[in-house]
Formats: sequence, C-alpha cells, structure tokens
Amino acid sequence: MMTLGDKKGLIIFIGLLLLVIVVSLAAYRTTGDMGIEERFSHAVGLQSGGEEGEDGGWFGLALEGSPLLYGIVLGVLVIACYAVYRHFSV
Amino acid sequence: MAHIHLEDGSFSLIFVLVWWTAAIILVGIAIFLMRSEKKPDRKKITLAAFCTAAAFAIFQVSLPIFGGVHLNLTPLIGILAGPAAGSLVVLIISILSAAIGHGGWGLIGANTLVNMVEVFVGYSCFRLLRSMIPDLFPRAGIATIAGLFCGNIVMITIIIISGVQGVNQSTGNILTGLSLIAAVNMGVAVVEAFITGLIVAYIGKVRPDLLGDERS
Repeated sequence: MMTLGDKKGLIIFIGLLLLVIVVSLAAYRTTGDMGIEERFSHAVGLQSGGEEGEDGGWFGLALEGSPLLYGIVLGVLVIACYAVYRHFSV
Repeated sequence: MAHIHLEDGSFSLIFVLVWWTAAIILVGIAIFLMRSEKKPDRKKITLAAFCTAAAFAIFQVSLPIFGGVHLNLTPLIGILAGPAAGSLVVLIISILSAAIGHGGWGLIGANTLVNMVEVFVGYSCFRLLRSMIPDLFPRAGIATIAGLFCGNIVMITIIIISGVQGVNQSTGNILTGLSLIAAVNMGVAVVEAFITGLIVAYIGKVRPDLLGDERS
C-alpha cells in the first residue's frame, strides 16, 4: 500500500520528468538531428565532428570509439569483477 | 550524458593541467577517506568494481535518441558505491574511455570532475531525500535527474572557463550552444532516471544491505 510520502515522491518525479521532456524536446527541435560529437562541435564552433551515426549499428545502438579495444577492455573488466566477486563472496 | 565530447587540443595545455590537477586532488581526497576507514568495506569495493564494468559498457553505447546520446549511470554509482569509491570509478571509466577513443586524453581530468559532481549530487540527493521520499524508485530517479543536471552545469562551466582553441565564437554563442546540448542531454536523463530507479528499487527488494541502511 502506498503511503502519502510514496505518492509525493512519485508526483515530484513525474513532474520533473515532464518538465525535462518538454525542455529537451524544445532544445532538440532547435538544434536538429545530429550526433553528440557533431552537436558539441557545432555548439563550440569547431568544424570537425559528425563521424557518429555513419554506421547504423545494431537496431540504432552503435559503439563509440574502437569496438575491438572496447571488447578487450570490457572482457578484462568483467573477468576482474568476477574474480573480485568470487574472492570476497558477496 | 554530461561528458565533454571534444578532441585533444580543444583546451589549452594550461587548462588541461588545471582540470587534471583538480581531479587528482579530489581523487586523492577520496583515496585518503577510503584508507582512513578502520576496516575496508569489501562489499562496497566489489560493488564499485561492478559499477565500473557496467558504466564503462553503457558509456560506449550510443542510444538512438535525440540523434545519439549515451547514458552514464554516474548517479547510480554514487548511490551504490558512495562518493569516495565513486570518484575512483569515474576516473577509471574516463581513462578507459579515452583509451578506446571516446573523449581526449587531455580531457580526462575535466570529464572526471563532471562525473564526480554527478556521483556526489546523486548520492547526496538520494540520502537527503530519505525522510521526505521513502520509496526508492522515485527517490533514485529524482537523485539521478539532480545529479545529471548539476553535471551538465559543471560541464558548461568548465568549457566556458577553459575556452576552446581555434574557434572564433563569442562566449555568449558558446554558452547558448552548450545550454542546448545540456537541455538535450537532460532528455536522456529521463531514460537514465528510470533505469536507475528500477535498479535501485530492485536492489532494495532483494539486497537492501547493499544500499547501506536503506529499507524499501
């Protein structure tokens, strides 16, 4: 059962979300559709950028940086986390 | 989210050193605080390791929203690992990200500072709102939005103070452009707030001990 405090929290949260969505959509309409690096370059007046988005990726989800190095670094991190998890028996 | 997506050479060497030094001092304080604890908190260390892997992974994936923006999970790192361990986590993520070409090496200091603010504000809001909002989901969501908003403010401040080499735009124009980026970033903060809220609410149900003295 929800208490008044829970409802208050949800109301504040939803209100914040709606406010943020409205402001973001307005900003997005102003800047137009561009990748984050392109958006940055455009904002500060640099000519470079805009490499993002050329590869459609997987259902629109694309990896930034080098995918091979990403795989290696992530693999090492996962192994390290697993070792720490086993060692400390969380 | 709030992450300075500029290449090496965008900031002058002086400001690269300034932000690196500031980040190293803050990380040094975090390490000092962690070492001054009587007994190392193994759960927190393990959580911090998991947060590093998860946040690094999510950091590199560009979501097809608003032209492509990535999540950070920095407020979640603050909530789960705390501000001290969280500061180390974001430093490691920034270094690993630069290693694969996501952000310049010279911007690691500045990006670490931005992410540290997100970690700290996310953690602080989550704790401070405990009596006012007992439910974990909205509290974690509000803490996330607050953290990411402050991160965007710090990101803009750092770029405005540093200036960008090789551009002729006035400070006012750069401020306007960066404010629009921050506003678009906050749209993705909505997604991040939902994800963080759901993760924290789930952890609160199955392992409330991982949230400190929290009870869902």
